[in-house]
Amino acid sequence: MSDALLPSTRINLERATVLVLDDNGPSLDILSQVVSGFGVKQLFRAESVADAQTLVRTKTFDLIISDVQMPTTDGIEFIQWLRREGGESNRYIPVILVTGHTRTSQIFKVRDAGANFMVAKPITPKVLLERIFWVAREDRAFIECDTYVGPDRRFKHEGPPPGTDGRRKDDLPAEVGEAQTPNMSDDEIANLMRPAKVQI
Amino acid sequence: MKVRKFRPTNRLTAMIKERGGIMAKDAIAAAEAGVESLRESSMAALDEALAEIERRFGKDAPERASELYESLYVLGSRIIDVSAFVSDAGIDKAAVSLCTLVDSCEGSGNWRWDAIDVHIDALRLLRAHGALLPADQREAMLQGLYQVSNYRPDEA
Repeated sequence: MSDALLPSTRINLERATVLVLDDNGPSLDILSQVVSGFGVKQLFRAESVADAQTLVRTKTFDLIISDVQMPTTDGIEFIQWLRREGGESNRYIPVILVTGHTRTSQIFKVRDAGANFMVAKPITPKVLLERIFWVAREDRAFIECDTYVGPDRRFKHEGPPPGTDGRRKDDLPAEVGEAQTPNMSDDEIANLMRPAKVQI
Repeated sequence: MKVRKFRPTNRLTAMIKERGGIMAKDAIAAAEAGVESLRESSMAALDEALAEIERRFGKDAPERASELYESLYVLGSRIIDVSAFVSDAGIDKAAVSLCTLVDSCEGSGNWRWDAIDVHIDALRLLRAHGALLPADQREAMLQGLYQVSNYRPDEA
């Protein structure tokens, strides 16, 4: 499978079971039509977090697409619940959050909700399919600790912030230490790149 | 703090690669055709939200000062939800700017009615004539709204 979603890339979502959650009826209709157009046959709709939780308790999903802003319980709380109490068959599935606007007070909450991706409304089929393709392909580790459950948020692997040692065993400091061996000569470097015949 | 790092199986990974299926361009075309069938109802929902904004938060609304910030925020969000059909009119961007403004009002605890009124006027104008406006005039109007609401599209 190629890195980017090309017009000619084949996708098969016929066997995927998808849950779409949005409290705004017209928005839920658009989301449902888009996902159905992608070939999804098992599509479940929920207009509230309570309805979505009932479905999660009784069915196994392969993808959840949820709105963020909802009354009573919002999409952030739903994903946090899913990651902790959604049952073994649903806890680790890809989640795409969709929102038209993120409140200043919710920026960090959205980041820490445990979703795989965020998509801006208004939804367009092209962008949503690209994101579904992305979450289907991604090989991100899952993190589970007291304060966070979800895909690793540091997926760019740029190391810990400068001046810190990092918190993980495989973290390397940004600063480069003293050389442990003499510099390579020009010839040695050239030899590394020299074309050579190989026996096939 | 104990941290567990692991790689759970992603069922979607295998599924999406299975034989058969459809090409991405056909999937997008099918989705666009399906969404097109919702144009009329979506526009009705947009007009309904805009009318309610004017009725409850417009200049002539007697009780607007006692309304909740949340109510206007939700109405602005409803416009964004269905505005893909009129994105060429800039309504989606104006509604995002309105939500930014209301969020900021809620943060400070004070309504900024002049700024709200400008946004409502702009939404009404864009809904009626937005797609017909020259692109530079429409963009200038949106930039004006962003200045009022402090919305920064580049940081969104």
